Amino acid sequence: MESTPEAKLVADGVWKVFGARSTRATDVVLSLADSGATRSHILEQTGATIGARDVSFSVAPGETFVIMGLSGSGKSTLLRCVACLTPVTRGSVALDGEELTSMSADELRRVRREKLSMVFQHFGLFPHRRVIDNVAYGLEVQGWDRAKRHAKADEILELVGLTGWGNHYPQQLSGGMQQRVGLARALAVEPDVLFFDEPFSALDPLIRRDMQEELLRLQHTMQRTIVFVTHDFDEAIKLGDRIAIMKDGEFDQVGTAAELLADPATDYVREFTRNVSRAKVVTVDRVMVALPDRTTAATSAPGTGANGGTTVPAGAVLEDVLGLLVSNRGDVSVVDDDGRAIGVVDRSRVETVLKG
Amino acid sequence: MASPAIDSRSAALTSDIGRILDRVKTMPLAAWFGILAAGVVLLQLLFAGSESFPARWAAAFADPFDRFARWALENRRSGEPHPVFTYLFDPLADAVGWGLASVESTLLWFPWFVLPIAAFAYVARTRRWADATVAAAALIYPGLVGLWDVTVETLALMAIAVFISVIIGIPLGVAAAFRPRFDTTIRPVMDAMQTVPAPVYFVPMLMFFGIGAVPATLATVIYALPPLVRLTTVGIRQVPTASVDASDMFGASPMQTLRKVQLPMAMPTILTGVTQTIMMALGIVVLATLLGAGGLGQEVMDTLAQRRMGRGVATGLAIVSIALVLDRLGRAAAVTDRSVLPSRRTVWWGVAAVAALTVAGRAAGVNTFPEVWDTKVFDPIDDGVDWIQENFRWLTRSINDGLVSWMYVPVKDLLIDTVAWPALVFAGSWISWRVAGWRLALFTAAAVSFIGLIGMWELSLDTLTQVIAAVVVSLLVAIPLGVWAGRSRRVEAALSPVLDALQTIPSLVYIIPAVTLFTVGVVPGIIASVLYAMVPGVRITALGIKQVPTESIEASQTFGATPTQTLLGVRLPLAATTIMAAVNQVIMMVLAMVIISGLVGGGGLGFETISAVKNSEVGHGFAVGLAIVIMAIILDRSTQAIARRLQPPTA
Ligand SMILES: Nc1ncnc2c1ncn2[C@@H]1O[C@H](COP(=O)(O)OP(=O)(O)OP(=O)(O)O)[C@@H](O)[C@H]1O
Ligand SMILES: [Mg+2]
Repeated sequence: MESTPEAKLVADGVWKVFGARSTRATDVVLSLADSGATRSHILEQTGATIGARDVSFSVAPGETFVIMGLSGSGKSTLLRCVACLTPVTRGSVALDGEELTSMSADELRRVRREKLSMVFQHFGLFPHRRVIDNVAYGLEVQGWDRAKRHAKADEILELVGLTGWGNHYPQQLSGGMQQRVGLARALAVEPDVLFFDEPFSALDPLIRRDMQEELLRLQHTMQRTIVFVTHDFDEAIKLGDRIAIMKDGEFDQVGTAAELLADPATDYVREFTRNVSRAKVVTVDRVMVALPDRTTAATSAPGTGANGGTTVPAGAVLEDVLGLLVSNRGDVSVVDDDGRAIGVVDRSRVETVLKG
Repeated sequence: MASPAIDSRSAALTSDIGRILDRVKTMPLAAWFGILAAGVVLLQLLFAGSESFPARWAAAFADPFDRFARWALENRRSGEPHPVFTYLFDPLADAVGWGLASVESTLLWFPWFVLPIAAFAYVARTRRWADATVAAAALIYPGLVGLWDVTVETLALMAIAVFISVIIGIPLGVAAAFRPRFDTTIRPVMDAMQTVPAPVYFVPMLMFFGIGAVPATLATVIYALPPLVRLTTVGIRQVPTASVDASDMFGASPMQTLRKVQLPMAMPTILTGVTQTIMMALGIVVLATLLGAGGLGQEVMDTLAQRRMGRGVATGLAIVSIALVLDRLGRAAAVTDRSVLPSRRTVWWGVAAVAALTVAGRAAGVNTFPEVWDTKVFDPIDDGVDWIQENFRWLTRSINDGLVSWMYVPVKDLLIDTVAWPALVFAGSWISWRVAGWRLALFTAAAVSFIGLIGMWELSLDTLTQVIAAVVVSLLVAIPLGVWAGRSRRVEAALSPVLDALQTIPSLVYIIPAVTLFTVGVVPGIIASVLYAMVPGVRITALGIKQVPTESIEASQTFGATPTQTLLGVRLPLAATTIMAAVNQVIMMVLAMVIISGLVGGGGLGFETISAVKNSEVGHGFAVGLAIVIMAIILDRSTQAIARRLQPPTA
């Protein structure tokens, strides 16, 4: 994959093979894979598992890139490769043009201290350290003195809504609070790039939603580059600027939520999109009946059209118009940014789309 | 891609050979027995008159060791010792000796009441009041009966031995956790170290360091090390990957991750290892008297010689006290739940209070224990024992005679005087083949012949006889008791505290009552072995019986089976593997005890080890030790193999 000059993080042809005992065995696996053998075939023949298979992508600064797939599809493997927690079998990963995969341990350590952070599925907190010392860990490793790092950690704890919990131990906190600690720990070092491996999947649905909102809020002010792994498509849609759908160690499709929904590349992708509440994703302009002429005059506020009917902006999602359609018992006009009516939606069309 | 094919072909060949060789394992039992009997008879006829193994290598084996020991002794005495002594052994010995002396004098320096108070406070910090009381009481007791000085001597040896174990064992365990290759290298060594009875370690120590508290300490270290190494490795490996990854992701160096994350998170497991090391050390520290360590061990030896049960009990309780103190302190140290622990300020206040007490006590000149009692308080026990001896002589006599004339003598006669050695070697290997496969069979044949060649044939058979006798008696008691405890919760509840208590008692202490009642000879050794080995026998059997799934039992009952039918048809077969594990444990403990009972005239390898250590016969000691090691390995591997074979195929 060509890397756009402004890309923050670039993965290029990343492979990961598990269970090959020697370099020769690895070569055998790779040559089998190059000749197009499937993952299960390779497993049968060689006993080796392909964790990631020729995966390439790039993430722009400030972008949230979501990797989404079923359990065992290789999401964690890919993320760990990109974060250099495990060596790639083939391919490379670069951050700000520096190739991480060929760095010495010392160089990698320096880059991590300066630029990287990660939040883990089961939190990965240090149970023997108080919350504040968990949050301050990255700073401690960098050699900050105690007073300074605690001050910084307090600041971050406030940011994630855990003021006053610093002296507790992680086990004394609820799951949601523990993951806030995990988040705070990752944010305390002010990283350029944040990795998330299913950070919210161990939480119950309500707390999960809170945490997603929290992350969106933080991201809104901080604008970090994020690589986010999840198996929950709703979460992917909510958080991701772009989403990669992963299967058997490969990307089936990469795109925005709307692109994936509108035009699923494979049955696997369609399977995910089927269960998604389109109401939250599909915008009205994709289902409206376009008006032949665009001359109707605009009025001041959205909500009421010139003819007294109801209007919605073109970028509104179906969920927003459902209520209107039900209470209105009629059509709703769609207006563009300048307030000109560009189409109408009716209830039956919306319902058809929602049913998938 | 030729080489994988060759690999697979040679692998197939190896497995073919393995399959052919292992056919003995699957041969019908009758055929197998037939060949066993035929082979024994044939060899017996062929080699009539050669009952004892020709000890061809006895001298050749022992000589080099003796020469080395003599060289070491002379070298150390000479004005200009070999650099190995000036730069390695002597500094090591000096450091250990200095440590022993300082710990001892420090403990004696404290006013007597400070240590129990400090121990109480340290344990009470975790809000375990019962434990705290036990720890304090256990520190007061030895003083009350006038054994404080000797107890401190033993305590110092323990402390230094455990300290050295910790500074060696934890790094080894950490290294093994990070280097799988290193782990697979040291693991068999550790396994072997744990199957070998303690006195065997004395011989090499004797060779390098001579007699005294220092070699005793070092022998203790070697014996007590394995559990700590293993649990450290386990502890480090158990740290969740996410925590280690998190630390890595923040750019921590491997050393930072180890120090800040892995070691602290593994600490509870490591502390369990330390506790186990303490228990193992306590088991041997008393025996280490043989190397001239003094302390409570010497006291036990004296009471054994005088056959004074009362004083023996007093001393035994002092040993148990040390076990209790160290155990409770260890458990308190392992508590990491900060919600229970007091604040840092409270801790400082506590330390200050103890310091103030110390100063006050020293200023007031209160130092040694007030002479409250003496071991004389236990003299009534002597009277009781006398009374029992008077009135139950018929019982002890008949147990003694029964064991000797119905078990020990006939088996010993059979093994030593009747069967020719080639027949015995064949029988041993043939049985190993059946139970564990051809590898152990080969090892048995070679190792048993080796025992014969180095002149340990008859001694080993004598010990084997004692082991057989003690194991048979232990199992006759332990298995029914275990089955009973496994089936009745009430019985288990009643037995459990007794078994708990028995398990903390060091092996040597078991000899005291055995000797007082049965005087000297093989019988007290066998009795002590039975008492000592019964505990795990009962425990593990009960566990096995309890683990039998309720559905299986209910299924049996719905068919109208009687309780006995259910026991024989369902419970025992399903518990067979676990019971066999109990048998394995019993055999290993009996072996350890039979060796120790050489102290009270048990004869066999035990007596030889002990006399070799006492008389500094290094070469002979090595031969004896090797024979013990070989016996231990064969008995351990074959019983473990049986346990594995009894496993139901589904599991
Ligand atoms: N260390 C390893 N050794 C061998 N195989 C591994 C290893 N780690 C992962 N795998 C295999 O690689 C595949 C992908 O695993 P991975 O953990 O990346 O999946 P995942 O998409 O993160 O799943 P989940 O949603 O359950 O976390 C699986 O088949 C797994 O068995
Ligand atoms: Mg995963």
